[in-house]
Amino acid sequence: MPAPTDDAIVDTFKTRASAALADANLKLAIDRTTRTARAKREAAVAAWPGFPEARDLGRRIKDHVIENLDHYLLEFERNAQSSGAIVHYAASAGEACEIVLRICREAGAKTITRSKSMLGEEIGLPHALDAAGFTRVETDLAEHIVQLSNDRPSHIIWPALHHTRENIAALFRTHHHTPQNSDDIIGMVASARRQLRPGFLGADVGISGANFLIADSGAICTVTNEGNAELTTTIPRVHIVTAGIEKLVPSLTHAFILLRLLVRSATGADITQYTTFHCGPKRAGDRDGPEAFHIVLVDNGRTRMLTEGLGEMLRCLRCGACMNHCVVYNEIGGHAYGGVYPGPMGAVLTPVLDGLEKSRELPHACTLNGRCQEVCPVAIPLPAMLRGWRDKSWAQGLEPRTQRGMMGLWAFAAAHPSLYRLGTRLAIRAIRLLAKGGWIDKLPLAEGWTRHRDFPKPAAQSFFEQYQATRRKQD
Amino acid sequence: MNARADMLAAIRRALPGERNPRTIGAAAEALARESIESRPQIPGADLTEAFAARLVSDRVVGASIDRVNRLEDAPGAVRRYCRIHSLDPVLALQPDPELQRLDWGAFEIRPPTGGDETLAVARARWAIAETGTLVFHSGPESPTLLSFLTLHHVCIIESSRILAHLEDYADAEKGAPVPRNVNLITGASGTADIEGALVRGAHGPAFVHAIIVGALGQTP
Repeated sequence: MPAPTDDAIVDTFKTRASAALADANLKLAIDRTTRTARAKREAAVAAWPGFPEARDLGRRIKDHVIENLDHYLLEFERNAQSSGAIVHYAASAGEACEIVLRICREAGAKTITRSKSMLGEEIGLPHALDAAGFTRVETDLAEHIVQLSNDRPSHIIWPALHHTRENIAALFRTHHHTPQNSDDIIGMVASARRQLRPGFLGADVGISGANFLIADSGAICTVTNEGNAELTTTIPRVHIVTAGIEKLVPSLTHAFILLRLLVRSATGADITQYTTFHCGPKRAGDRDGPEAFHIVLVDNGRTRMLTEGLGEMLRCLRCGACMNHCVVYNEIGGHAYGGVYPGPMGAVLTPVLDGLEKSRELPHACTLNGRCQEVCPVAIPLPAMLRGWRDKSWAQGLEPRTQRGMMGLWAFAAAHPSLYRLGTRLAIRAIRLLAKGGWIDKLPLAEGWTRHRDFPKPAAQSFFEQYQATRRKQD
Repeated sequence: MNARADMLAAIRRALPGERNPRTIGAAAEALARESIESRPQIPGADLTEAFAARLVSDRVVGASIDRVNRLEDAPGAVRRYCRIHSLDPVLALQPDPELQRLDWGAFEIRPPTGGDETLAVARARWAIAETGTLVFHSGPESPTLLSFLTLHHVCIIESSRILAHLEDYADAEKGAPVPRNVNLITGASGTADIEGALVRGAHGPAFVHAIIVGALGQTP
């Protein structure tokens, strides 16, 4: 495989990131949400003395499931089927969409409501439904905003995080039948409620994701604040669930243990307003509920992650804490990452989903400060996994030629100490010539650094020169 | 379509070795039991007091409470609620036999899943003190939508049905048939989707009101 040229791949991420950095409105929007999220999470964790033990327990529960994934998959399938659910398996994103579209067509569906699901985004379901000619109603407020503005989610918990309230007010004014009178957030939420209610009541199929798949009952769990999931899954004739196989848990009790961690890490609440377990279709005598209940279990790279040493990533609860605390995410936002999942967890997952060749820049867009792992409710070693991708990218020859050349040069020098010392001696003397008053405001080959801050004038001698001088004095 | 077989084969390739269902079950059981050590503490010894305090705390959105001695007193408490909120005495009533036998003479009763009512009254199956949660099971006597369509959701809960922790609910229902829907409801519907600011009354009720039945005489 030929090494890609510097401007082919490097520039796509770089362009996106540069555009994001230049967008002051975006920075404001990111700041307003992630600042609140961090403060609320911190308070929630501080108020729970058992958090460290619970976090470790949560990690071990996830690991236990991953180590016995086939067992739990079959147990879930058996119980879901006996509850009357129809279980489907999809190896890829395309297969999953095809299954969903087929169910919708067979149901004679026209209008389809969807409650927020990152797996749905991952498999490209919104686009697939649109392309197949269905009327898609996104019922989560943030997804509704994303649908109206015709863009993509930029955060896994707050998909519309990149929109300021001022943007959203303008959007609702353009698209809603009876928009808010004043542009406060309460008025806007009420406008969305009015706008979406008829969509709920007239839908033929409702599609949701799942936060947990409960193996010992075959139930699936949704976790929401708005109540849109329940209206999406109860009113239409057909309820379709799309879920990644890593969402399995042994029982309700295990789900509750993970739920505590998930919600505190995501929004800083102790529990969401609605935690709902859905088990099979409408029963005899029920006054509501769907007549058919389908569960599409999606692989899309997950079993490959097991084989390729990325099994720990299957612990992920999709809480978003890693991105809320990421210095890179907070500067560039979600869209710059280019994949469905942004931030640290996205930088680990996107190479699995889109291929490393297309996304090799993402594991590099990381300072390795370790905050993501620190706040991860199931202790995923995200920095180590990002380093793993960097190693793989190097081993596969995907790093750009200049970088490989520079590294080669450095490696050669590092293996020849006298050459290395000569090099540093010459370099610092050359760099010192550029200094004015102890600082350098423009450094060739490092303009990226000096554009934003001055570079300190190096010491007159290299460390090794000083070390040798001291030793000579002592002798 | 052989996606299922492929998936299982891939998992088994990645995780070689025999797995014994009994060992797996025992390991899962042990993990579940461990949560006793890390659960959030519940203040005080009285679960009813803890639940009531939690529900009106700033950790729960848009909830209020009332206390009555007997289930028969519930319609009076609902009247009180209607007065406070200036609501017409019209309600969607859960078709629960215990509720149906009460005297609702002062109210106009509408069908439970009409969709256009302002007020719903229902009896919760359980409550959880840890989180201030009300638990509903769907069934012929308890439609799911009753909890989601109206603006005001009045929930009657007997104090003997208040549990300490989330796990206690799982234990209390162990071995019982699993209903189509289990709804854990904690306060009013809300959203933080615009700039992370919490606003109540998204798609579901904007007001949740718990009428706690019993134990009134015992509280100081």
